[in-house]
Amino acid sequence: MNLQKYILRRTIEIIVTLFIIISLLFILFRLAPGDPTSMIIDPEMTPEDIEHFRDAFGLNDSLWVQYVKYIFNIFRGEFGNSFHYDEPVIGIIWDKLLNTILLFTTATLLAAFAGITWGKYIAWKRGTWLEATITFTGLLLHTIFLPWFALLAIWIFGFKLNWFPLNGMMTPEVWLNPDTGIFRKVLDIIHHMMLPLFVLFTVDFARSMLVMKSSMLDTLREDYIVTAKAKGLKDRIIRNKHAARNAMLPVVTSVSLSIAFSINGSAITETVFSWPGLGRELVFAVSNNDYPLAQASFLLISALVLVANLISDILYAYLDPRIKY
Amino acid sequence: MHPEETKKKTLKEHLKYRYHSRKKKLLFTLKGFHANWLIFKKNKMGLFGLGLLICFGLMALASFILPLIDPMYHPMTGVDPMIFSSKGPSLTHWLGTDSLGRDILSQLLVGARVAFMIGVSAAFMTVTIGTTVGLLAGYFGKTVDFLLMRFADIILVLPDLLVIIILAAVIGGGKLSIWNIVIVISLLGWAGTARVVRSQTLSLKQRPYVDAAKISGSSEFGIIHRHIVPNIIPLSLLYMTFRVTSAILVEAALSFLGFGDTSTVSWGMMLQWCWKTGHMFKAPYWLLPPGISISLITLSFYLIGRAMEEIVNPRLRER
Repeated sequence: MNLQKYILRRTIEIIVTLFIIISLLFILFRLAPGDPTSMIIDPEMTPEDIEHFRDAFGLNDSLWVQYVKYIFNIFRGEFGNSFHYDEPVIGIIWDKLLNTILLFTTATLLAAFAGITWGKYIAWKRGTWLEATITFTGLLLHTIFLPWFALLAIWIFGFKLNWFPLNGMMTPEVWLNPDTGIFRKVLDIIHHMMLPLFVLFTVDFARSMLVMKSSMLDTLREDYIVTAKAKGLKDRIIRNKHAARNAMLPVVTSVSLSIAFSINGSAITETVFSWPGLGRELVFAVSNNDYPLAQASFLLISALVLVANLISDILYAYLDPRIKY
Repeated sequence: MHPEETKKKTLKEHLKYRYHSRKKKLLFTLKGFHANWLIFKKNKMGLFGLGLLICFGLMALASFILPLIDPMYHPMTGVDPMIFSSKGPSLTHWLGTDSLGRDILSQLLVGARVAFMIGVSAAFMTVTIGTTVGLLAGYFGKTVDFLLMRFADIILVLPDLLVIIILAAVIGGGKLSIWNIVIVISLLGWAGTARVVRSQTLSLKQRPYVDAAKISGSSEFGIIHRHIVPNIIPLSLLYMTFRVTSAILVEAALSFLGFGDTSTVSWGMMLQWCWKTGHMFKAPYWLLPPGISISLITLSFYLIGRAMEEIVNPRLRER
């Protein structure tokens, strides 16, 4: 099988997975105690009114008809109205999706890149105090409790040192002022993004650095490394061209396995930093019993995770030509 | 000899034999433990982790003693009559009090107990499910394998914390009780273990002794029970230590975000109270201890897991 066919197969698998998740959500919300309309119905409504209401919401149809309608609506991007905002859900979550992608992608990419570079170096320096110190620090950062770390970051860099804003994504004065240029606006967002980015980056970085180090230690024992050394190649070339290229593969796998984990992390970070993203919207919607909003944000997050998984699978296939699809 | 007597004798002999074989088995196990301990001991990080774990164990034990000294040290209901707001460390309250005047130290100690409870029970359930699924998929193969592994793939890509939050909304109306949290964590965490156990089962199935057992007429169940499970157990135990940390972390994050069990004092809950009452910039004595505890207990299980990994996978020891 060639690469195109592999990509096609993975894409189909992912669409099927998304479909299953959508169906599970449907079942889940049907299982919920109480009627879906119980949130809206007033005690003063007459039985006729309620019946009219149920008709309007399609709740008197059979479960199959409801399911088919539900699927169609989702593919049309029709998630209903949010209870809390009283607006169509799709309009609310669209901007949030972009904000989440901005934060999450930047953190993941930077962390993978830095993790690979650092892991490479400290595996090369194995047995030294430098390696021991960095590994131990990496372990501490890997196991630190993320929400707490975020609070500490706000406390130290936001509150005590006053380097960065405490929360949010934009300064209203800057954005409402018609005179500010686009450059100033971008700078404002970057300024707000630094702290959440730092928190997410640190934790992701520690993980990929540890994986890279351990994989690099395995690779350095391979025969072809000994051969390269015997040939009298420079250390730099052995490390970067011979060892690191092969050692990188498990890191890509671990990044793809931990995408779901990172999304959890960004939901936490978004909530703590009031970053207007999907994860925070989900937490907010659940706290307010806003079912349509919660459902839509969850679906969009799942789709995001699946697409990120697809990308990392393709990247892996591209990096490792030996892979059997 | 009277037939009745022979029967008695054989029974006696049988019991004696069983006793000795049990004793041998036990000795064998103890020897195994000792050999493994010698490997574990060489790993300094693992020992450090074990030390930390013992400290947390002592904390959990101490949590039973403190409320006996004075009812005001009860982590949930105990209130110091002299204190009405969050106060810093003093002689009566070594780590200060929270905004309701409750002792932070006693909350911290109970938190250790809750963390162990959640971590160990969720890890046990997770690994039981994961091992069973992995065994079935690996041993029976074909359709069973395909269906179970596709299902595992789906579970694996779901962000578990967010799924639990959604479940909290639908089932619990925004809150989940502590045991429901444990169950949901287990139902969402088995996929990784199942994958590893499956690949191990696939390789064990090809061993000559399994063929030998098959030829001598052993049943499927007999083969799984006698030849495959004993070889899987060490791997399952290893995965259990890793699942403990993730269970503790998920519960803590859930409580922190406000979807936890408000009747249980966990470390995540303490952080949530500190954060929500706006004390995070004012009361470091309140903010720091729970966070440090969660991070260190995670570190401890992680280090122990890595040291155990070297026992299960000897290749890691050589480098």
